[in-house]
Amino acid sequence: MRDFILMMIGAALVNNVILARFLGLCSFMGVTTRIDTAAGMGLATTFVITVSSMADWAVQHWLLDAYGLGYLRTVTFILVIASAVQFTELTIKKVSPELFQMLGIYLPLITTNCAVLGVALLLVEGHMSFIAATLFAFASSVGYSLVMVIFAGLRERLALAQVPRLFAGPPLGFIVASLLAMAFMGFSGIATN
Amino acid sequence: MSPDLHTVEGIARVVGVDGAVAWLEPEQTSSCGSCASAASCGAGDTNPAGGIGTVADRIAARRFALANANGLRVGERVVVGVAERALIRAALTAYGLPLATALTAGGLAESAWGSDLATLAAMAGGLLGGLLLARLVAHRLRARGELAPHFLRRARPGETCGGSAT
Repeated sequence: MRDFILMMIGAALVNNVILARFLGLCSFMGVTTRIDTAAGMGLATTFVITVSSMADWAVQHWLLDAYGLGYLRTVTFILVIASAVQFTELTIKKVSPELFQMLGIYLPLITTNCAVLGVALLLVEGHMSFIAATLFAFASSVGYSLVMVIFAGLRERLALAQVPRLFAGPPLGFIVASLLAMAFMGFSGIATN
Repeated sequence: MSPDLHTVEGIARVVGVDGAVAWLEPEQTSSCGSCASAASCGAGDTNPAGGIGTVADRIAARRFALANANGLRVGERVVVGVAERALIRAALTAYGLPLATALTAGGLAESAWGSDLATLAAMAGGLLGGLLLARLVAHRLRARGELAPHFLRRARPGETCGGSAT
């Protein structure tokens, strides 16, 4: 249990998907203008990363490894992720059309989010058991959501601040992102993974 | 006018009026076409005729009804909004609840049997159970009217999602 907790802290905070591994940067800059949209995107991405990682683990162990098809890993994972997103979209639409109308916009964007594929490939490198792989994927995506919401909060405040025109908008956003990354470096040493 | 921080606003176009009900389709935002992910969400598709996977298809799928108490007419652009809290509650219901049940079921199966296959099966079962639970919660939210967008005002000419009229 202690190992799982340390692994999850490491995945969420120390080796954060966005700030340490530099994955999912497009959504990090693109969907963080408001806290609510960032939280919605974060939750949708958390769901897709966790579900697709479960499927990727099964495909890797019971198909690719079993039949010596490791060289097809990347293309297979992309297919699995795209299928997971479509499955999620169809399921949410069936479960509640109202929820789909409200949240459906996030799902197609996740298909091209490199964090989803990145986490799946990290699982393979880690040679983890199924439960460890799923918890790692979940913790990584929680770390992703956490940074998205924090950054959205900072950008909401920055939008109200008076800054030189040269720095307004994305330039100041990048500076703040780098400061946030440095702040997260403070977690180094808590746990490793 | 500064946007209300507790309401998520969007612009929609009236595509039909049926008695006391107006049917609206959300407008594609101006930034959609230039987004790096435009191709995947269909925004990069310029085919106006529509078809599966095109932006016209996706927007049509998100058509919604609104009580027409303001005399809306076909072709009018209006600003609609949903409460910020409702958006987060909806996301927690749709994504958070199934994940929580899946992880709980997986954790219990792992501690009971310690087998990858059993854990995978339990997680899949937990996920399905969570989706059914999400369906019930969504029904309750809908009954309370929390998921429905509400009319805020008519959009100004040239107004976009950012709120600026050009």
